[in-house]
Amino acid sequence: MAVSRLFIANRGEIALRIVHAAQALDIETVVGISEADQGSAAATLADRALLLGPGPAVHSYLDPRLVVHAAKAAGCDALHPGYGFLSERAILPRLCADHGIAFVGPEPDMIDALGDKLRARAMAKAAGVPLVPGSEEIASAADARREADRIGYPVLLKASAGGGGRGMVIANNAEEAEAGFHKASAEALAAFNDGTLFMERFVPEARHVEVQLMGDGTGKVVHFGERDCSVQRRYQKLVEEAPCTAMPDQVRRQLHEAAVALASSVRYSNAGTAEFLYDVKREEVYFIEVNARIQVEHPVSEMVTGFDLVAEQIRIAGGAALSVSQDDIALTGHAIECRINAEDVGKGFIPVPGRITGWQPPQGEGIRLDSHMAQGAVIPPFYDSMIGKLIVHGKDRAEAVSRLTDALDAFVVEGVPTTLGLHRAIVRHPDFIENRIHTRWLEQVLLADGVPATE
Amino acid sequence: MSGPDTLRDIETLIAEFQASGLRELHVRSGGVEIYLSNDARAAGLDAAPVVRQAAAVAAPSATPAASAAAPAAAAPAAVAGLPDNVVIVRAPYLGTFYRSPKPGSPVYVDVGTVVTPESDMCLVEVMKLFTAVRAGISGTVHAILATDGQMVEADQPLFAVIPG
Repeated sequence: MAVSRLFIANRGEIALRIVHAAQALDIETVVGISEADQGSAAATLADRALLLGPGPAVHSYLDPRLVVHAAKAAGCDALHPGYGFLSERAILPRLCADHGIAFVGPEPDMIDALGDKLRARAMAKAAGVPLVPGSEEIASAADARREADRIGYPVLLKASAGGGGRGMVIANNAEEAEAGFHKASAEALAAFNDGTLFMERFVPEARHVEVQLMGDGTGKVVHFGERDCSVQRRYQKLVEEAPCTAMPDQVRRQLHEAAVALASSVRYSNAGTAEFLYDVKREEVYFIEVNARIQVEHPVSEMVTGFDLVAEQIRIAGGAALSVSQDDIALTGHAIECRINAEDVGKGFIPVPGRITGWQPPQGEGIRLDSHMAQGAVIPPFYDSMIGKLIVHGKDRAEAVSRLTDALDAFVVEGVPTTLGLHRAIVRHPDFIENRIHTRWLEQVLLADGVPATE
Repeated sequence: MSGPDTLRDIETLIAEFQASGLRELHVRSGGVEIYLSNDARAAGLDAAPVVRQAAAVAAPSATPAASAAAPAAAAPAAVAGLPDNVVIVRAPYLGTFYRSPKPGSPVYVDVGTVVTPESDMCLVEVMKLFTAVRAGISGTVHAILATDGQMVEADQPLFAVIPG
């Protein structure tokens, strides 16, 4: 049954994005807000805003019972969780099901299964999706040498009971593999009282690539191309683009096929993203995990496909089949997104809540801004620091980079420090322009000598 | 004790707590102290956790349900048509407003009832979890501003109390 009144269990730009998508589908919107978000853009635009509770998220956005109680009291027949907060907590779709509310996302059992890395890897393996080459338990130095020879150097010896980098040794050749066995084993024994080791191929220069998927629960799954999210700081993505131009077409096809096979094999429903590591030198992709939600960076896929992913999510939650087949989805041009955060880059990227006193976003051809901010808007201290996503589209990567550079230069935000200056430095760096980046590039190259002065 | 095992223990504890229907749970083990409550405002978990949690646990509670801290003590009236000196008791969060402890039993308070800061005024229910809201002030109930059995939003005025 098609959705008629949608509850939005989120805040910020994604709440606003969901309200827009629902309104385009002629669906009523109710947004649940905390006391800190009264008067927010989503609350103002929605048909109704309900005050859930105090600002701290545990008392509002992170309380599944409170959220579902509000959705039910408001007569909503569907609930969109956005990203973050409760979006990948299976209790939310379970409570929704108990109260006759359609959840805009996958089944709760699927969320549980994908949240468990070992189960997710088992699913991927069963679907024939490539995993990082690795070993079973390594029992001796000779064993280490033999397995490392088989896997290919460099390899990473890891403690089975491990974490936090302890009991981890990189080996670049057979001698290092043998010596590394003794070192890692001793470290693991000291740290975890368990010297058991295993081995994985180590990828020194990896790209993070991910495939946008959409399924309708029948086994039919389509993809909307891949995204390259290799500009990261401490595993947080800062810049995302589509397509990944650093990848040969043949690898790209393998990537898409693997992602679709995985989602199809488990009859995946709604939006999801299969994340992979791309080994640039070997031209191989390895599965990491599946994110069972709409992602922050979904707009770059929308920009290159011209397709509204959030609207499709809502339609599928209402019981509809996929509205497109793979042949209908054409990828055109290149899109790049920058996450603009209210952070003081020079002080360790510390978030800075406060009031926006000046807000002049760039405008023009190929520019999209997903933001809940405006002049006078307040960034509350309780939530993440993202104030918007600047997305550009061009006929190719060079045009997109050029447009992004101009758009970043034109973007004026006053009242709080932002990451705009850092983005200006990123897009001007020769490595970014020539697309030679990898997941540790930002920290190892651009930020190696401190923060670039461009603000 | 710290690290992944402890985190897993805490997650398990929270899941068990949520499934149990208990209102509050206080655990002290080794160097770790945990206070869980279904009352959004009882513990003040957002700041200075250890001290405030301990204080919340130590606070006497003779009421059947966990009571919310005075939601309104210093708040201005700001509700049209009421005398200037009234204090408004507000909903701590969104939920269903109930004037009596259970269906058919007498209401907690009515117009004219004399209350103390510890007096229970009503219940706010979220998914079968009932939380009593306390007056937070001494005085006389002047008006009842919400309807029994209706949804109230966070901060919504529930009662007007004339201090004294």
